[in-house]
Amino acid sequence: MTDIAHDAGEPIVEHRSRLRATVETVLRNRLAVAGLVVLALLTIVAIFAPLIAPYDINDVNIADRFSPPSSEYLFGTDELGRDIFSRVVIAARVSLRVGFIAVGIALVIGVPIGLVSGYYGGAIDSFLMRVMDVLFSFPAILLAIAILAVLGPGVGNAMVAIGIVYTPIFARITRGSVLGIKNQVFVTAARSLGATDGRILRTHILPNVVAPIIVQTSLSLAFAILSEAALSFLGLGVQPPDPAWGRMLADGRSFFQDAPWMAIFPGLAILLTVMSFNFVGDGLRDALDPQQRSVIESRGSA
Amino acid sequence: MTEPLLDVEGLDVRFGTRTGVAEVVNGISYHVDAGETVALVGESGSGKSVSSLALLQLLPMPPARVGGAARFKGADLLSMDEASIRKVRGNEIAVIFQDPMTSLNPVRTVGFQLVEPIELHMGLKGEAARARAIELLDLVGIPSAADRIDDYPHQFSGGMRQRVMIAMGISCRPELLIADEATTALDVTTQAQIIEELDDLQTEFGMGLIWITHDLGVVAGIADRVIVLYGGRIMEEASVDALFEKRRHPYTRALIASLPRPGTDRPDRLTAIAGLPPDPLKMPTGCPFAPRCQYAVERCHNERPELREPMEGHRVACHFDPEELYE
Repeated sequence: MTDIAHDAGEPIVEHRSRLRATVETVLRNRLAVAGLVVLALLTIVAIFAPLIAPYDINDVNIADRFSPPSSEYLFGTDELGRDIFSRVVIAARVSLRVGFIAVGIALVIGVPIGLVSGYYGGAIDSFLMRVMDVLFSFPAILLAIAILAVLGPGVGNAMVAIGIVYTPIFARITRGSVLGIKNQVFVTAARSLGATDGRILRTHILPNVVAPIIVQTSLSLAFAILSEAALSFLGLGVQPPDPAWGRMLADGRSFFQDAPWMAIFPGLAILLTVMSFNFVGDGLRDALDPQQRSVIESRGSA
Repeated sequence: MTEPLLDVEGLDVRFGTRTGVAEVVNGISYHVDAGETVALVGESGSGKSVSSLALLQLLPMPPARVGGAARFKGADLLSMDEASIRKVRGNEIAVIFQDPMTSLNPVRTVGFQLVEPIELHMGLKGEAARARAIELLDLVGIPSAADRIDDYPHQFSGGMRQRVMIAMGISCRPELLIADEATTALDVTTQAQIIEELDDLQTEFGMGLIWITHDLGVVAGIADRVIVLYGGRIMEEASVDALFEKRRHPYTRALIASLPRPGTDRPDRLTAIAGLPPDPLKMPTGCPFAPRCQYAVERCHNERPELREPMEGHRVACHFDPEELYE
């Protein structure tokens, strides 16, 4: 620490902002950079999907069914002669959208629960955390299936289901960090100056617990996309004829002997996306929060 | 005599723990007049910090239970609801905390944190609040305050951070300032500067000051009156001159005797008070200091001495008069 040396009060000239330090650490991590590049490409593909896809997703061409990958059909065609490349590209939109919205739901519900629970403690904490524990005690995919069984299948409901499934992770991570922060002197100091609880939570506690939440967000995105694929695989997510990676994987299963490309390319798309989010998440964790071990890792998720 | 600024009466603080009830503060009564400096002195665990945090309802409740009364300008602080006490906090009574390293939020700029109480209590917003914040930093002796205001706490040294804390404390011109070991973490030079600055501020604003410390050396320089706490009870209360000249309580004597003195035969040796402070879970039935007191007799162990006032303005909780003990 430079505390004593700077007692005279001259400004410490050289300092790196936390943001810059974080960015630099992430950029030193090759896997994280690779993940970022892939995700950037994927996002571009998803945004411009209709322009990139050479065929309409539902262009049925029975004559060309089960074509292997070629210059005409980059990833081959399926049992109805639909272009798999076009379908994989369009499905990227659904996967990313479901991922982001589902994690968004989990964040919006989970973080406030964690903040309130950790800050107030006592009966509120016990109640909220027991509710979270109940949700947490189910295997992720099973809970999502159960919720969809109630709500009915479909993309929108799948987002809600996945969002609910990942809420307890955010609640727990936030609560844990709040417990560490709320007894810091600066929180009491803020109270002693007349700040309200709401203000303390917003302006003093939340900014201090944001790092593990960011890390968890990027890791959860990977698992949310995987969950969406699993649900679509089971026929509970995206409904035909709309394409989804999980669905295409399920459809390709029956023809794997004769037309392996039907399953391989959507499978690769899932793999690549999920791995990229994980690499970025790991990179962020190393930069922001080296001590944090992800709850999700120990959970044996879908 | 006019009504004191703060009148604490029979303040009790208990903490419920798994193993029993910790009696941390036991019926302490004192007052602080406007413009006066009262020092609360005691070892770690003597209840000095807890008793002042209790005044502003800053203790976590539960596990803490607070009893007694603390009238501030006539209104009882302890029975106020959350909304009313919030208007007092930072505005009429402010606290400066003991550890400058942890009492500022590391992810917010100093300016942000300084502006907070100003906006909350003084009705100033935006540029006006910021201007006031710069003025305050200047007042507490931070050079080029206008440039430093957007820095983060980690860019400040410990002394500077303590000054920021003081600036926050006085930002709304409180009528009572509680300085909880405000200079303990600082080196002696910085400590002296800050004490001087607080003294100036006190003269300027006429605020009452409760100075919590274990450092009797500082007390001699700053306080008007001294309250010696031990085991959550007042052992002795006197004006600072009377305390250093005619200290009556054996504990006060022991405290003063344990101060290192230059020029004594063995300056490398410190005189410690033998034994440990009492366990708040198992407070002795007699005088809390009796187990460590070299003058203790059987009566001291069985019967708790009341706080007597043998001389005007000098209170002491001991069965004996100093004449009987020390001569």
